[in-house]
Amino acid sequence: MVKEMLTGNYAAAWGARLSEVDYVPAFPITPQTEIIETLSQWINDGEMNAKFTNMDSEHSMITAAGTASATGARVFAATSSQGLLYGYEMLYNVTGWRVPLVLVNVSRGLSAPITLEPDHNDVLSARDSGFIQIHAETCQEVLDTILMAYRIAEDERVLLPVLINMDGFYLSFTRESVEIPDKDAVSRFLPEYNPKHAFFKASNPMSQGVAVLGGSVYSYFKYQVHLASLNALTVHNEVAVDFKRIFGRSYSAIEAFRMDDADYVIIMSNSFAVKGKSAVNKFREMGLKVGLLRLRLIRPFPYKELRRLLSGKRAVAVIDQNISPGAGGILFNYITTALYHEPDRPEAILSFIGGLGGKDISHTEFNHIVGEMGKSIEIGVVPETQLLYTKGDLEQINNLLNIAGKTSEGVERLRN
Amino acid sequence: MIKRIRFHGRGGQGMKTASRIVGTASFLEGFFAQDSPLYGAERRGAPMVAFTRLSKETILERGIIVSPDINMIADETLLGDKSANVLQGTWEGTITIINTHYPASHVKDTHGIVGEIVTLDITEIALNVIGEPVLSSAAAAVVCKLTGVITKSSLENAVIKELSSLNLKKETIQKNVQAALTCFDRIPEAHPRYRKPIKEAVNDEIVKLEYANPRIGTPSVYAKETTKLKKTGNWRLFRPVIDHEKCSRCRTCFVYCPHSCISIDEGDYPQIDYNNCKGCLTCFYECPKKVISKDREVKAW
Repeated sequence: MVKEMLTGNYAAAWGARLSEVDYVPAFPITPQTEIIETLSQWINDGEMNAKFTNMDSEHSMITAAGTASATGARVFAATSSQGLLYGYEMLYNVTGWRVPLVLVNVSRGLSAPITLEPDHNDVLSARDSGFIQIHAETCQEVLDTILMAYRIAEDERVLLPVLINMDGFYLSFTRESVEIPDKDAVSRFLPEYNPKHAFFKASNPMSQGVAVLGGSVYSYFKYQVHLASLNALTVHNEVAVDFKRIFGRSYSAIEAFRMDDADYVIIMSNSFAVKGKSAVNKFREMGLKVGLLRLRLIRPFPYKELRRLLSGKRAVAVIDQNISPGAGGILFNYITTALYHEPDRPEAILSFIGGLGGKDISHTEFNHIVGEMGKSIEIGVVPETQLLYTKGDLEQINNLLNIAGKTSEGVERLRN
Repeated sequence: MIKRIRFHGRGGQGMKTASRIVGTASFLEGFFAQDSPLYGAERRGAPMVAFTRLSKETILERGIIVSPDINMIADETLLGDKSANVLQGTWEGTITIINTHYPASHVKDTHGIVGEIVTLDITEIALNVIGEPVLSSAAAAVVCKLTGVITKSSLENAVIKELSSLNLKKETIQKNVQAALTCFDRIPEAHPRYRKPIKEAVNDEIVKLEYANPRIGTPSVYAKETTKLKKTGNWRLFRPVIDHEKCSRCRTCFVYCPHSCISIDEGDYPQIDYNNCKGCLTCFYECPKKVISKDREVKAW
């Protein structure tokens, strides 16, 4: 065991290396490229025994990952944002093949306008694909989650691919102290992949992903994917217990931060949750009973655990770092669904959109959120979804609009 | 105790590496450390920013540092670039370090900088000791000294560790160590006033966005020729100067200039547009008669 300053990308590469993956199909995209650069370097230098192939697109990359996994190889791949969307069609295919590969997504806001900084519209667009989804907060968690992901994916009760999310820049390019586990400890935790349902043997041909005509056949297989995903809740928790026993770090489907006596709860995900934790500490110093939940497991969605954690709380505020135009925050809907039948549910559940394209969420925003929770309880009216946007942000965009000629004068010139 | 350090520079100057050297030095010193760069298109010469945090406790922060304790400005021309916003969030407790030829008082008055100012011609030191205008090790050393909590040996080990990971030659690394140690010694011991408490973020307020006319609310640009507003001439470290007496008018420089900053005048002589010439020195190297010289630029504004 050794501690090093590692970026999230480098930690992801270590996760793949320690998992002794056999195959890495790759296609570059900022802010992910450092992962595949690192792996290709290690493979080239003989430090890793795996096959690395540069593909012509993410569509081919996910196809290659899925087909290789169907032959019984342990497969790792990484992408980001537009790349994930470019390979989108194949996400549904590989879950249908029930292949336990691991794919890392480095979150980046979707174009247009084009950006490099994170939000979660990219990864959440894959929420209905059948991939298990785990979202990480720290570089250490990225590495650890990859090890856990292979255990979960390769379990006979699951056999689904896993999509792990880390935020671009905030994790991908940020170095912090990461413990790199010993190889021996990893081999005690993660046994060799030994598939019984899908493997390649020339003497024993089989077909994968066959065509089915007739809804009853289709429904049968599709629902199997759903049931497999639901099983992953139990499997995740079992694997987490094992992980803690061997490595000493503990992970749950939902992380609870200062929740014990909390009346007001902020719900977040990914790396920005650390900003929420810092705000919670400040509120606690002021005597306000605020706690935070960080959603780690996004698929399967931990409804039951969420109900247990939120039952009896006064108010909940969900910060979605994503936007579904015309609807609002994506995760807000699952959280309200979880609570509808809970008799002791919170009086108010508020919806906020924040951190789009990596926009900072400062203490101003957290103050506003807690204020709005209090107000909602007091007057008994819950506000519509709100964007976390400040006066300072508005000044900045107005300044840029001026430079871009988007003033009444500029518009007039365009008209003439 | 947490220290928040911000590094401003241009792509290629080494500020990402500087932030990493300070991060590693802090880590070796036993602190919790975190470092990260932030840039748009990864283009040489474009403004970039990097951050390092070091703390005795787990760091519950990520991403941009709005209000730095130490603010390293490795390229003084960024002070004149509004969009780079290099003085953002600086306050009475900030130590601003400026890589410049000018004395501190002059810089302070010219730009109305608040807080402590430290000036040092880091480029000059890098050119003298390393022979190249790469500022990472020297800039990191200045920052390490001003934290008041990083020792010389941790700095040295961090420089070696970070530059080795970039596969640099042993000799280059040794020169970098020398430049770093020179800077470390050149900066006075951190004074207690360098350790003021962190200022709370200025309270902003939430506003409600309204629907905007699509001529405003869509990501398009109506203004013409906005690139003309950006003069890139102040990026130069060296100014190419053509000796027109000896020039043979062969036009080699005109053809090779990658930024089209050389035009041909009525007398058929090449003329350099100093408002935009970035000082890449391609003309200096390509001139077949060797009649282009290079002068070090020391006055950026």
